[in-house]
Amino acid sequence: MKRYLWRRAGGFLLTALLVNFATFFILQVLPGDPALLMLGTEGSPEAYAALRRELSLDKPVLPRYGQWLLRFIGGQWGNSWRYSLPVRELVSRAFPLSLGLALLAVGAAAGAALPVGLYMALRPRSFGSRLLSLGTQLGLGLPQFWVGILLIQLFAVQLRLLPPGGAEGWVSFLLPTLTLALPRMAVLSRFLRAGMLEALAEDYVRTARAKGLPQGSVLFKHALRNAALGPLTAAGVQFAQLLAGTIVVEQVFGLPGVGQLLLNGVFQRDLPLVQAVVTLVVLLILLFDLAFDLCLGLLDPRIRYE
Amino acid sequence: MWKRMGLQLIIALLLLTWGGFASAQVLNVAIPQDPDSFDPTRTVAAATSEVAFNIYEGLVKATPEGGVAPALASHWTVDQGGTLYTFYLREAYFHDGSPVTVEDVVHSLNRARDPELAVRAGELAVIKEITALENAVQIELHEPHGAFLYLLTEVYASIYPKGAGDLSRKPIGTGPYYLADWGPNQRLELRRFEHHWSGQRPYFAQVNFLIMPDENSMVLNLKAGRIQLIPRLEVSVLHQVENSPGIKVLASPMNLVQLFAINNARPPFDDLRVRRALALGLNREEILLGAAWGNGFLLDSALSPAMAGFYHDGLGEINPYDPQRAKELLREAGQENLRFTLTLPANYPFHVQAGEIAAQQWQALGLEVDLEIVEWGTWLERVYTQRDYDVSIIGLAGRLDPHAILVRYTTDSSRNFFNFSNARYDELIELGLRAEGEERRAIYLEAQEILARELPGIFIMDPQQLAAMREEVQGWRSYPVYVVDLASLYQ
Repeated sequence: MKRYLWRRAGGFLLTALLVNFATFFILQVLPGDPALLMLGTEGSPEAYAALRRELSLDKPVLPRYGQWLLRFIGGQWGNSWRYSLPVRELVSRAFPLSLGLALLAVGAAAGAALPVGLYMALRPRSFGSRLLSLGTQLGLGLPQFWVGILLIQLFAVQLRLLPPGGAEGWVSFLLPTLTLALPRMAVLSRFLRAGMLEALAEDYVRTARAKGLPQGSVLFKHALRNAALGPLTAAGVQFAQLLAGTIVVEQVFGLPGVGQLLLNGVFQRDLPLVQAVVTLVVLLILLFDLAFDLCLGLLDPRIRYE
Repeated sequence: MWKRMGLQLIIALLLLTWGGFASAQVLNVAIPQDPDSFDPTRTVAAATSEVAFNIYEGLVKATPEGGVAPALASHWTVDQGGTLYTFYLREAYFHDGSPVTVEDVVHSLNRARDPELAVRAGELAVIKEITALENAVQIELHEPHGAFLYLLTEVYASIYPKGAGDLSRKPIGTGPYYLADWGPNQRLELRRFEHHWSGQRPYFAQVNFLIMPDENSMVLNLKAGRIQLIPRLEVSVLHQVENSPGIKVLASPMNLVQLFAINNARPPFDDLRVRRALALGLNREEILLGAAWGNGFLLDSALSPAMAGFYHDGLGEINPYDPQRAKELLREAGQENLRFTLTLPANYPFHVQAGEIAAQQWQALGLEVDLEIVEWGTWLERVYTQRDYDVSIIGLAGRLDPHAILVRYTTDSSRNFFNFSNARYDELIELGLRAEGEERRAIYLEAQEILARELPGIFIMDPQQLAAMREEVQGWRSYPVYVVDLASLYQ
């Protein structure tokens, strides 16, 4: 177990460094000069030269990367070029929001998927199951952008029950959560249905039933525990994806999350900002991944860490 | 029973939280993106000048009619030679409570023209020296500059306290509002400044600029009442609000010149016949309808009609839609089978659409047009700076004075990405700075005619600025520059 953790930690650093290095160089080779982008169509050659000097863009790439890395590790993350604010401040505002939204969305999706998936597995041929199956297919296929707009139209414009956007109070998170949760719930419930159907056909379920265990015990203690591995892994992947922000939903609901920050940063070739955000996202995902793997072991004692 | 009570409780809670938005004297305004920096020496984004107009003031300020009005200077004099301006300061206070002194003015303007400090210092290069008098500031110019006062209305010429720290996030100005809070990608909160020199208090005590990158959500937020004003509505969503109860849309010229830029240095576009053929082959009526849904004004000049005093309105006959003649010109130039690339900036759907319509029209002449859609960063680098393109499309923002717009087409201008060169034109732009009144007007009329005949590019339209707001919002004033005037609004 200890060796396992050490090995994972090593892999961690290497991955983070690689991604970090790649981002830096991709931003260098992309057409679009940060100084030009800052000046727009009104800049003069003198201003351009001065700005390049100030951003150290006139220096060679490798030493610049080294310098950036040392400072970053030392906690000096610099100022964003796009927002003229400290990167730390931008990041510390955006990450909690995206993290919270990811938790809410995946939590809601998993919470709703459990009864839906179970119902579809236990009554596979009922009318309700067919309806739900159709519903989950819709949930998978509908673009989030459109769903978000429809939800705003219904709940904010027509019914005037919820705010149409912004991050002001907990109510403003209901619609974004719903928008994000719908397609994810569809995925999870289909996973759960498949897993349950498979588990229910297994010998140990028949044995459990034969020795007279009550239905609830058979379902939840025996079948669900085995069927949950698939959907849980899927939920983990969903959560990790959401950590990097959700550009579409953030745009539709005007939420100041990681996605917005990264998008604007990339458009402006805002190196300090993009580097910090990408590195943090990678670290968060790796950390979550590790924690998740450890948790799966609790669920399934067959999993070994070596 | 419990269930019902729970439901009622939830609804009551929802209403409580949500009801907080609709309090009086607070105005919520939607803008698509954050300002870049409130440091007047650093900012270049239009998104900043829009907000900063309410926070900062210069010696003078722009008026809705496109003129210049006194601001921190109550009045001024100009000497006979036109090179010595004396501005007399009025009694005014900064947001931090300190009085505005001549030292503050000298300090701010000296920083604004210092090439080491200010990104747009070049525009104030005409200043030779700034001297503090007892209650006035004297500015000496190297040479007469007819547009000098207009330069002083720009954000870069704002006045701030001499001892001010970093202004980029905490601006200190003298305007009718001050910045109370700024949450990036979320909102800017402005509060009314109670000690403005004018003695007037704007109606709204608080104005929030909410950042909303998506135009559809903007409209829904306006309908739901979370915001009351969209200063610049995308024309593509106009139909969603046009007949909505409780919402009105006010249109005005944007003072933006949308044009096809042509690389005049690159064969065969160095041949005027080819450029003319492209111009004659364009049915701009169709572009106006297709890209702007008819909300715009067709242009034949490099100036918008918003520049009322200088706009040349007699150029319409020079390049009429005439595909037959266009084909003849191409034949004469030996370019019937010309193939070229039309580069479109992806971040402006409006320009992309206009470009796609034009490409079809040019293809109808028998030309082969390759569309290339590029990201803004690429456009700035390749088209604007390296001038490596055939034909492109862009909107050039208007200014208050024709010189600032027209100087772009002079041979040596760093902003002349057309590679246009015309000796008479260069001479006229020089002369224009020294001339006054009718003479100055005549010079700019001739300059506009040269551009229409020699075609550095093809002028398309000045789109309309569409300001969408709740019915109850009154007092909207449109400007020929990129600002939102909050102080004039009330309900």
